[in-house]
Amino acid sequence: MKRVSEVLKRGTSWLLSHKLRTALLTVVLVLTAPWPARAQFGLDPCCAMLAAGLSSIQSALTSVVGGGLNQILNVDQSMQQFQQAVVWPQNLINQAKALVAALQGNFSQIQNLMRIPINSATLPASQQLEQVLLSRNPNQIAQASSAYTSLYGPVPAPTAASPQVLNMVDMTDAAAQAAMKRAIEIDALADLELQAASQLNQGIQNAAPGSAPIIEAQADAWLIRANAYTQAATADLMRLRAVDLANASADIKMGATNTTNLRQALANLLQHN
Amino acid sequence: MQVLWYAVFFAALGWLVLTIQNRKRLVAVTLVGVMVVTLVGAPQPAQAQGGLLSAIQAVLNVINGLLKTALTSINSVRSAMNTWMQTIVYPLQLINQARALVTQIIGQYRTLMSNIFHINLNSATLPKPQALEAVIRDHQVNNFANLTATFGNTYGVIPVSTAANPTDRAMSDMDDALALDNLKMLKASDQATDIELQSADTLEDAASQTAPGSAPFLTATALTSGIHSQALTQKLLAAELRQEAARIAHRNELRKENAANTTQMRGILVNLLQHN
Repeated sequence: MKRVSEVLKRGTSWLLSHKLRTALLTVVLVLTAPWPARAQFGLDPCCAMLAAGLSSIQSALTSVVGGGLNQILNVDQSMQQFQQAVVWPQNLINQAKALVAALQGNFSQIQNLMRIPINSATLPASQQLEQVLLSRNPNQIAQASSAYTSLYGPVPAPTAASPQVLNMVDMTDAAAQAAMKRAIEIDALADLELQAASQLNQGIQNAAPGSAPIIEAQADAWLIRANAYTQAATADLMRLRAVDLANASADIKMGATNTTNLRQALANLLQHN
Repeated sequence: MQVLWYAVFFAALGWLVLTIQNRKRLVAVTLVGVMVVTLVGAPQPAQAQGGLLSAIQAVLNVINGLLKTALTSINSVRSAMNTWMQTIVYPLQLINQARALVTQIIGQYRTLMSNIFHINLNSATLPKPQALEAVIRDHQVNNFANLTATFGNTYGVIPVSTAANPTDRAMSDMDDALALDNLKMLKASDQATDIELQSADTLEDAASQTAPGSAPFLTATALTSGIHSQALTQKLLAAELRQEAARIAHRNELRKENAANTTQMRGILVNLLQHN
């Protein structure tokens, strides 16, 4: 401590002895020392300009960008509200799905009704044919002809009737058998359609409003297909009736021929007598 | 870094000022030293303020120009879309009108059509046909035995084996069987038709309250109902095919029988003529 005070005393005395030089260095130090930059507070004109610029940007962002975005938000909120309340209301979507589920019950009832056994024949040959006809099984179509023949008999032997009658009989049997086979086909197809329709309906229950039209499109395709099968069945029915009509006509033609032949035979007989 | 250099040069100047004895040298060193430390300690030149202003102006230009235009355009487009959706695609007024139309059509037609459909068609006058007619039109599927009995009462039963030849008995049995099959099928079909009509009513009721977004569910399920309906029609057509086929097969069998009888008669006649 003593030493420090001694050094200070010596330094002070030295400085007092070099007053001019010390003052000179002090002046130089004060004038030339690099002072730290001043803080960016309002008094600086540069900071004032910066503040004004930033303020303008803030104002522009608030009014132009913020205002514009707010307008868009308002429009979007209005659209959202409209879509949810008018176009896609959740409660009505749920109601529609519930209705689809309820209709599934109706479909099941219809399917069950169509599966009720209706067999009624009592004798063996007719029971066998009826069983094939009501089987709804396309694999049994092959047995239809034999079951038919065992009930309705075969086409007569060539010596048993005129060729015209034989042709009529064969054609009529063919039309009848084809119609019976078509009936088995149509029954099987109708079962598959009922099954597919139920599947589609279950798909609708799990669909979204945006995906339901896809199932709808498939249902449309199925409906077209179903219409085509209906037309095929109608066509076979018409064929059957056409054959029946042709038979009636053929009966008249054969009757006329037979009458002519009989007249001729009687004339010959009278001439011989 | 600048402060460090300044300290070094200032220390050197101080040492020289304090140690030089010659007055002229002291003045010279002081002048030079002052110049040097002035140069070293002088503040760095500040950047011109014009660059900052132009940058701010540029940002403002972007905000007021590009961003404003873009946001205004987006807003215009979205407003137009909103208006278009509410006035052209899904106008609430027309949606309500459509619902009202559904309700009006329900009121106008449903009861009327139902009344027409449920007019009693029974026309038999004698007891047995009346009983049969009642059974075949009752839309029930739990009384098939009753149907078979009333059918037998009206049309008779299959002849016993001693009363007709086997072919005629078989024909008769098959004809009766297919007629009964179809009558049973029609009872089931009548009930299915009732269910279909219920489904149609339910769908129509729902359509009167539906929204554009929930309508596709109803449309899709209506289509599946349509498939069901087609399948039922096909079942009926199949039944009619069986029935018609059996009818012409029966006639054809008679034709075969006639041929056989004719052949048999020709043989008898030939034998008779030979004996004479």
